[in-house]
Amino acid sequence: MRLPRLLVCLGLCALLAACATTGNEAGPRLQAVRALAAQAYRLDNYAELTERYRNTYQREKPFLSAQAEVGEHLLDARRQAACDDLVTLHRAVQAYLYLLGRLAGDEHYDVEDQVKGLSSAIKAWPDSGLDERHVNAYAGLSRLLGRALAQGDQDRSVQALLREGAAPMQTLLDAMRTLLRYYAKTNSNEARIVLGVLEVEIPFADTPRDRLLAVLGKERLQAKQAEYRLIGRRHTLTERSLDELARQHLELLTRLEPAHPHP
Amino acid sequence: MSTAPANPAQPAPNPAASPLDLEALADSLSACADILHARLMRAIHQRPPAAPAPAAAAAGSIDHGLSQGTAQALFENEVALRQRANGLYLDAAELAGRGLGGQQQVLLDLAAQAQDQIRRVNRIKDMASLLADLLALGAAVAAGKPEHLGPPVEKLRRHLADLQAGAPPSVAP
Repeated sequence: MRLPRLLVCLGLCALLAACATTGNEAGPRLQAVRALAAQAYRLDNYAELTERYRNTYQREKPFLSAQAEVGEHLLDARRQAACDDLVTLHRAVQAYLYLLGRLAGDEHYDVEDQVKGLSSAIKAWPDSGLDERHVNAYAGLSRLLGRALAQGDQDRSVQALLREGAAPMQTLLDAMRTLLRYYAKTNSNEARIVLGVLEVEIPFADTPRDRLLAVLGKERLQAKQAEYRLIGRRHTLTERSLDELARQHLELLTRLEPAHPHP
Repeated sequence: MSTAPANPAQPAPNPAASPLDLEALADSLSACADILHARLMRAIHQRPPAAPAPAAAAAGSIDHGLSQGTAQALFENEVALRQRANGLYLDAAELAGRGLGGQQQVLLDLAAQAQDQIRRVNRIKDMASLLADLLALGAAVAAGKPEHLGPPVEKLRRHLADLQAGAPPSVAP
């Protein structure tokens, strides 16, 4: 039968091709790309904190005097308009990282399923023309093809995408980090206003008649303090994960091979 | 600084300021508000223990007996400072967020490129499956077992149908 010989021939070709194109750096680099892509979901926190920033006025409103409310209302209109744009800033970065990660995926070029399909087909007919040797030859061929054809290609595409995306990625990550800082500082002023009202008013509710008022006020103060502490912590964590994302991205860029003019 | 917008007719109240300048200004306003708050709280807690009627100490200095009205008025100043600071943070945020549309578009285009590549590789994988189907079919034919032809032929047909359904309408050059 000619089939085995043909397979061996093809297999040898594929082996040669594999040896010629598989880079040593490619594996770890692709893995680093996947690790980076796996962090992209953390940017959801940026969007949530943008939403919280957008709603500053609503949270402050019960605590504002009539005069302060006028000013805050004007700020609110501008804040709403700004947040419409800011809240989607992370999406392009996420889409880019997600697809980059999929392109760098290790199962992406895997042909195991195809191999399994053939070997189960052969087991189904014990006395057909195909036997174990053929399956093994086919499997070897497919795997080599998968690696040789794809990995060089995969690594090259991933590197090209990384290079072209480098500048916009850093710009957008920087912008998000900066915006988060503004949100955090705004949040801290909001906290001082809300907590301040309670801190200033509670000491004046010191007559027996106002005892209930003082108790409720103190209870509210504690709850609000806890809420703002929690938000402060979320800000810190989000800033840290954005820093980490930017750091990983930069590190990945240093591992790129110098761009060579490629057809 | 580096993020200075190209558009000269911007609606921001202070066109010459960079986000960093605005932030620094807002930081110092916030710091002033903090100092004011600390002083106000100290005065409130230093009041004589039996607080007199609010009107009694209205004219006194902040450190000797502070009326609720005075405390509220002082606190209003603090709130005004914080609102001013938050307004400046908003100015800075508007500046920082400006002109990023192009950068986002670049990333979205690259994402689309990656998607195309993934589709292309999936098609190669489909070809590998197709090859396996063909081998199986060939084997069944070679074995001369017509009763074995059914499943591989069916599989092959399904595969070809999938390929046709999944293939994008011919890639533009």
